[in-house]
Amino acid sequence: MQWLDAIIQGVLLGGMYAQYALGMALMFGVMRIVNIAHGDVMILLSLTVITLAGVLPLGNIGLIVVIVPIAVLLGWVLQKFILNKVVGADPLPSLIATFGLSIALQNLMLEVWSADTRSLPNSGIASASFELGGIYMGVLPVLVLICAIVLTFGLDMVLRTSRFGRGLRAAAADTEAAAMTGVDPKRIYAIATAIAVGILGLAAVFAALRATVSPSDGSAQLIYAFEAVIIGGMGSLWGAFLGAMVLGVAQAIGLRIDPGLGILFGHLVFLAVLATRPEGIMARKK
Amino acid sequence: MTTPILSTHALTGGYGDFQALFGIDLHLDKGEVISLIGANGAGKSTFLKSIFGLLPVAPDMVRFEGTPVGGTPAHQMVRKGISMVPEGRRLFTGMTVEENMRVAIDNARMSEAEGPWSRDRLFQLFPILKEKRRQPIENLSGGQQQMVAISRALLCQPKVLLCDEISLGLAPKVIREIYAVLPEISAAGTSIVLVEQDVSLAREASHRLYCMLEGRITLAGASHDISREAIAAAYFGAA
Amino acid sequence: MTQPFQHARVQRATPSSRIAMSLCVIVLVGLVTMPWWASSGNIRWAIELSCYLAIAQMWNLLAGYAGLVSVGQQAFIGVAGYMLFVLAQNFGVNPFVAVILSLIAPAVLAVPTYLLLRRLDGPYFAIGTWVVAEAVRLATSNIDYLNAGAGLTLRVMTQYSQHEREVAFVILCALLLVATIGGSYWLLRSRIGLALTAMRDNPVAAASQGVNVGRLRFAIFIAAAVGTGFAGAIYYMAQLRITPAAGFDPFWASMSIFIVMVGGIGAIEGAIVGALIYFFADRLFGEYGSAYLIVLGLLTLIIALYARGGVWGLLQKLGDHPWFPVQRKLVLEDKR
Repeated sequence: MQWLDAIIQGVLLGGMYAQYALGMALMFGVMRIVNIAHGDVMILLSLTVITLAGVLPLGNIGLIVVIVPIAVLLGWVLQKFILNKVVGADPLPSLIATFGLSIALQNLMLEVWSADTRSLPNSGIASASFELGGIYMGVLPVLVLICAIVLTFGLDMVLRTSRFGRGLRAAAADTEAAAMTGVDPKRIYAIATAIAVGILGLAAVFAALRATVSPSDGSAQLIYAFEAVIIGGMGSLWGAFLGAMVLGVAQAIGLRIDPGLGILFGHLVFLAVLATRPEGIMARKK
Repeated sequence: MTTPILSTHALTGGYGDFQALFGIDLHLDKGEVISLIGANGAGKSTFLKSIFGLLPVAPDMVRFEGTPVGGTPAHQMVRKGISMVPEGRRLFTGMTVEENMRVAIDNARMSEAEGPWSRDRLFQLFPILKEKRRQPIENLSGGQQQMVAISRALLCQPKVLLCDEISLGLAPKVIREIYAVLPEISAAGTSIVLVEQDVSLAREASHRLYCMLEGRITLAGASHDISREAIAAAYFGAA
Repeated sequence: MTQPFQHARVQRATPSSRIAMSLCVIVLVGLVTMPWWASSGNIRWAIELSCYLAIAQMWNLLAGYAGLVSVGQQAFIGVAGYMLFVLAQNFGVNPFVAVILSLIAPAVLAVPTYLLLRRLDGPYFAIGTWVVAEAVRLATSNIDYLNAGAGLTLRVMTQYSQHEREVAFVILCALLLVATIGGSYWLLRSRIGLALTAMRDNPVAAASQGVNVGRLRFAIFIAAAVGTGFAGAIYYMAQLRITPAAGFDPFWASMSIFIVMVGGIGAIEGAIVGALIYFFADRLFGEYGSAYLIVLGLLTLIIALYARGGVWGLLQKLGDHPWFPVQRKLVLEDKR
């Protein structure tokens, strides 16, 4: 029973990680770029939400409605002024540029918000829970997981059936050939980044509701998103989702064994997948 | 004289510091098929890429229906009415035959209903593609992939079609099959630039012919009037 | 066939490189004699600067030549430091001998790290190295033998006088600099250097010219791990204390990236210029804390966007005066 509980808590935790991982999978899939500031952007949005909540009389839904457009705009700016200049075959410029951005953002947040941990005022939902077959589940984590499922499903549908989705897959397969077929790669990149950061806006509200955030938390979120994407298999959205579940469960089980082992267990599972199935658990066989 | 649909004027270009083209003057009239021949490294593909906005050129170097378009990004060239069958096909892997076609339809100059080209018409032209429409592109043979590449370019509803070495690496039977559709493309009002290494194929399929050597045009004329000797001299540079 | 030139010779030394070589010798002699003329404070600075120079040079070799961008070099700093502390403190090995023995740890860690991560695409490789460093940090924090999160102290150092320690430290630092900077210079001038330069410019073309890119990358990864570990062992021996949070601090990676990018990637001189800039900037502005780090981050970002060659690249535009010429120049002399 104790282990079943750990697994369920892990899956719920995975719901959070899936929200970080989706955007990363989308951006890497199309641009071959990893934004090292991915986690820091999420934390920035979280801290912004917390500050907004103190100023404006908005409920949680209201906060989401306000922050997601801000996040989309932030994604567009990030793409326009930084990422567009470093997209290319050489991974170094994009890594270094976003690495510099990450350090600058982290320290900017320290200046503005100081090193204190913060969270959204408890509105009841964060502590509400229900019992199912002897296992207690938080309402909020379940909501986060449902949200992650809906997002993965929706994004996957968009990629498979929409005009934007076809353009994105074409650009991911061969950018120049896509341009020759009338696809504007920069526009596709901008939409992909806007979606990725928009999802982070949603994740930011959940993160601030679920636990505390502080300016230096971004690196850990980046690593979790990355591990989820690799465990699941690059280039697959459901892979990233599943990878997030595996990571969440590994961390939850590690945590039950010893409180100091949770995150380490996640890393070890990631390394084990890399050693035994480097194409990821969901990757299509070539 | 009417304005050519596509023309280049003292076009120079290349990759970075490496100049590959030295003042190319070429024109294509409406409804015409021209071919561009030359040995490997003569600059044929570089020339097509320069026309198509994939390599930087000055605006005046390329005119489309009389207006300067040089250096316009490729995706906007498609909207103006130029499309290209790239060397090596460059299809979108991980997508089906029909999805590859739909990327072109999504971004075409005009809709599938308005334009001359529709999936149905192409499926008539290449019946095998209809059969394989839901197959991933990787499952097709080289010749079938070339048919998809041509279909994809045509579904952009182009006024000018640029074909880069569409016979390369294909069996003679398949080459004949593919070249057999060129008259129909031409009849639909599309002008064609064929880049070819196979001289006799190029001669047969085109009205006029240009020969390139080391980044320059060394011979131009009506395909059937040019002697084999003249072509050989222009092709290999023998004085 | 007539030869228009009587003599053609390959020129490798330049006037600027001869001056630089002489300066290097002077600096090394100055460094080794420091205990007899400099204050303890200045010697501590020299140790720190030497470590920065070495760590940055190793990162430059990785990212600038082998195309391996790592943000996890702190793993090698930490393991070498810990190995040194364990050997000296728990096994009674002479600490100055233990520094050398502790280089086994980064070498041993580098092998599985590379073999696991080589499967990852460029940007993912980088974050992969970070995960390895985090995993090693967390593992260390959970091992009671290593005093878990509280870390270790090097008490055995008290048996030496301050002067003895300083003499040993400056000799180790001189060795470190010769091994990392001198080693990089030697490597880049050798046949391997030609292959590395070819690989930096175009890995696919290099592979087609018979360069075994995979094996070369592996070798460089291990060499860089050992060089970085060497610096880490010296740094924490001078600190007398190591904790998982410090030894495996991702800031080591940030620092390497900043130094090499600002100084100029893909040039030995670049890493040196960058290390000097960072060292003095840290002395001058370090007190401003996060504001200073915002500037460092933005500077790295701007360099990645607009000036990939860094300060050294800008200097090169003013005139080609290499301190460490690694390219061969063919000089044709007309003696007639």
